Amino acid sequence: MSKKILVVDDSRTALMMEREILEKSTKYQCVTASDGQEAVEKAQQERPDLILMDVVMPRMNGFEACKMMRQQPGTREIPIVLVTTRGEEAYMEAGFQSGCNDYITKPVDGAELVALLQSYLGE
Amino acid sequence: MNDLRLGAARKRLAESRDQEDAVEGLREIVGNFLGSEEIGLFRVDRRTATFHLFWSFGIDPEKYDLLRSLGDAGLRRVMRGECHIEHAAHERSGVMARVQAFVPLRCANQTIAVLAILRLLPQKVAFDRHDLELFKLLSDEAAKPLFGASTHSKLATEKPGIRA
Repeated sequence: MSKKILVVDDSRTALMMEREILEKSTKYQCVTASDGQEAVEKAQQERPDLILMDVVMPRMNGFEACKMMRQQPGTREIPIVLVTTRGEEAYMEAGFQSGCNDYITKPVDGAELVALLQSYLGE
Repeated sequence: MNDLRLGAARKRLAESRDQEDAVEGLREIVGNFLGSEEIGLFRVDRRTATFHLFWSFGIDPEKYDLLRSLGDAGLRRVMRGECHIEHAAHERSGVMARVQAFVPLRCANQTIAVLAILRLLPQKVAFDRHDLELFKLLSDEAAKPLFGASTHSKLATEKPGIRA
């Protein structure tokens, strides 16, 4: 059975791109959410193998969603990779404190993204 | 991978529901694919030969002067339909100086607007050849979803040769 990734971004362009990369370059199954709150709900329902999540989003941002997922038994162990335009050290530190496993900056390099996901999920 | 990026940008622009959504799409494309959150979109008023700020993101529109940034040579290039890019340079402090790009948005063989990308995110050092392909796509395909078919039909009946 293929591994499942929950991709979370309020930008339709980013979702479209990340979904395309996953579909064309990997065998992972992709489900999407467009803000942190929806991500928390979808993570509970779908139990993905990894979550790839933007930080700046409406309703609930990526840091808050990450913290919430880490508090819930069903999602506590799921690897979370945060994706954002903000590459400053303090911002990345805040990401790790929220409980993420990895942190990548936009613009996302497709090959690097696939390599990172494979390091968690295998091919 | 670049084909995927171009495909996603093209699809996003084509699927824009209205002007507001097209502007949001443009912001997403520039932010996610080109690595900038300082953007201005200027319309060309061919009647008065001037530029008007149509929309901006992350800049102070009161303080920004497009024509000064572009310069005469840059202005001529974008009006001819060429991108004008100012390449990266290190400042004395070692910090990378502003990298700017001005992309003409074309309709019926005329530049009807200019997309100004004014600063890159710290993690992005410069534009690369893939970015140039994306500029070309924006130049050819962004004007219609942004400014609508009415601009196209209006321009088709306009006499050529007027320049801002």
